[in-house]
Amino acid sequence: MVLEGDIGAGLIAIGAGIAVGLAGLGSGMAEKDIGAAAVGAITEDASLFGRAMIYMVLPETIVIFGLVIAILAIFVM
Amino acid sequence: MSLPESMSRIVIAGTKAHMDEAIEVLYGAEAVHLIDHTVDADEGFSIGSPREYSSKASERLLKVRFMEKELGINKHTKTPSLSVEEIKSRIKSASVESAEDEIVRALDRRNDLNQRIAALNTKKNNLEILQMLPVNLEFYNGFKSIATIVGTVVDDPSEAIKAMDAEFFIATKKKGPIAVAVFVRDNDRDKVSSLLSAYGFSEVQVPPGVSGIPADALKAVEAEIAEMEATLAKVEENLAVLKENYQAFLRASDEDLSITVEKGELPLRIATSEYSFVIDAWVPTKRVEHVKEKLEKDSDGRMYVEFQETRGRKDAEVETAEKRFKTAPTKMNNGGYSAGYEYATKLVDVPKYQEIDPTILIALFLPLFFGFMVGDVGYAIPFIILGIYGLKVAKSKDWRIVARVLLFGGIWSFVFGLLFYGECLGMHFTGTYLSPTNMTWEHVFGMQEGALGAFTAVLPEFIHAEEGNIINHVGVGKLVEIPLLLKLSVYIGIVHLMIGYICAFINIHMRLGFKHAFMEQGGWIFAFVGLVMFCYALAYSLIGDMSSLMTEYMVPFAMGIVLLIIGCAINLKSHGGMSIMELPGIAGNILSYTRLAAIGMSKAGMALAFNHIAFNMIYGTMGGITGIILGFAVFLIGHLMIFFLAILSAGLHSVRLQYVELMAKFFVGGGKEYAPLKIIRKKTHYEPLKTENKTKAEV
Repeated sequence: MVLEGDIGAGLIAIGAGIAVGLAGLGSGMAEKDIGAAAVGAITEDASLFGRAMIYMVLPETIVIFGLVIAILAIFVM
Repeated sequence: MSLPESMSRIVIAGTKAHMDEAIEVLYGAEAVHLIDHTVDADEGFSIGSPREYSSKASERLLKVRFMEKELGINKHTKTPSLSVEEIKSRIKSASVESAEDEIVRALDRRNDLNQRIAALNTKKNNLEILQMLPVNLEFYNGFKSIATIVGTVVDDPSEAIKAMDAEFFIATKKKGPIAVAVFVRDNDRDKVSSLLSAYGFSEVQVPPGVSGIPADALKAVEAEIAEMEATLAKVEENLAVLKENYQAFLRASDEDLSITVEKGELPLRIATSEYSFVIDAWVPTKRVEHVKEKLEKDSDGRMYVEFQETRGRKDAEVETAEKRFKTAPTKMNNGGYSAGYEYATKLVDVPKYQEIDPTILIALFLPLFFGFMVGDVGYAIPFIILGIYGLKVAKSKDWRIVARVLLFGGIWSFVFGLLFYGECLGMHFTGTYLSPTNMTWEHVFGMQEGALGAFTAVLPEFIHAEEGNIINHVGVGKLVEIPLLLKLSVYIGIVHLMIGYICAFINIHMRLGFKHAFMEQGGWIFAFVGLVMFCYALAYSLIGDMSSLMTEYMVPFAMGIVLLIIGCAINLKSHGGMSIMELPGIAGNILSYTRLAAIGMSKAGMALAFNHIAFNMIYGTMGGITGIILGFAVFLIGHLMIFFLAILSAGLHSVRLQYVELMAKFFVGGGKEYAPLKIIRKKTHYEPLKTENKTKAEV
């Protein structure tokens, strides 16, 4: 298969993919520990669900940063 | 942004001689939140002692609970509600005790049978092993100087035993252990035992007093087991009948006795002197007069009620109050629609008496965000149906809130889907057909382009900034108008966060006054507005022309910096140096709202892929009946998957935006919930007066 098109555009696409992918990996690593601890806490006291969920989803913002960078890369560059 | 209901403190006094009537009256008012009396709170008063009837009731309750547990009656057992009078009279005439007699006797019999069957089964297992050996049972016992060792081994020990002076029998089966019986002199017993143990020996008891060949004995035991099992089945049947007969009574008496015990133990929470009792209680301010009147009237004037204070929201009032009066209970004050979301707030915590209850904000924004993210008529309709069905069927609070969000989120996503995105199942109704990125329903139904134009004329007109072409009444493509959706999400976020900051300001203003509020929250508000303006100018000039920062975006840029500096200065003074470190967090919070666009995009992307595959199968390459069937299958399964993913992702993310971004700004929680003395009967009921009259008349 012959490569076609702009190499620059391809690099941007790869960059955007890496941005989202690594950011996702990062928040996943952060959430795994919190998630395990949260499930432990909830089994002891189900009323902690709300607060546990807050802690659980805190690192999720990291992946949003990755997404924003990816979108910037695709649409702005 | 409603505050918890205003609370007032009252004191109720009465004579101890009329304690029982007083307790009934207090429960009857259904508005009295008792303040527990603590030791030494008042001189001359001590904690009361339980009523006499309560210990007898506790004893009976214990019996009832035991029987319920043994018979397998739990809260899921469906039983009819019985009348209170009937249940009370039955309890009084010692029905609990007679039921206990009957049930415990049956239970004992069952346990006894189970034990005997277990013993017989062991015997049976042993006989099965002995059956392998060619020795009659009577030959294992009764020797003077010969010891018998019977059991099973894992490996064949023949060679080793042959070397010894012993008679032995070994039997093997294809599967399972090897049976062995060794007859040796008493002196050699230990030697053989230790030898066998090397082969994994485990001893088998020869049943005493049995003779003949083991097979006969085995048959006898088996017959005995069968007989016992038949008896056990009868006993089980009997128990099932007992359960059937008594479950309604047990559930009802459980409830009635629990109520009796609770009432009987009420004096443990109140102050009593030799002849009188005094109760401190919280009552919603607007019901104080009503409660006072009701209590005094219902007790025939034997109770005296005095109003003490109406608790305000200022910290000063809390600080000066006596320790047990410091925290007023929180009665969340939400009407109709938003009351359904109180559970969502309580999942985090019960609001304090002195703070804004965020329920109404959750009620507004949670379904709104959900709808914005889903934004598709095709998914909205099943959401609405599922929501209505859920609200009709679901009883548990968890499911009810889910159903509520689905219903109202569904309505919002219908609104957004129809009036903003113009989409159904990932496809616009109308517009220029462009496979695969822009498929339309017009095209699917083979209509002319623009045929649904009249139908979608309500859709907004958008100007595509980069290309300058006008999108006429087609709707916002989730995968096309990304910059627009991102901007919109950020603006929604700014509004949402600003509400959070304002709530925080109001909270502190209410508790400590304007100066405190300004010093604590003013800095954040200035910094937030400054940062928004600063980022606005920076973002637009970065995307466009950098030089426009000094011309077109000069004003917001400069104002942003000024406000940021003011904000930081106030924060430095009141919160210290660490507050500067939190500034990037604000930007993070705002960016966090881009998930609104991102989740919409992800769903649109999946829908696009499934639609493309499905319609290619139906119209395109594959063709024929197989193509149509396969195409519809892909279409159905794909959209069903997106539908359920939407519940998870859109639901959870909109909850998260409320809990983390909004509520973290102002919500503290840790309030004590208003819990008035009140009896809720489910399995028992008072006969309505009418029927009572009727029966009397009939009699």
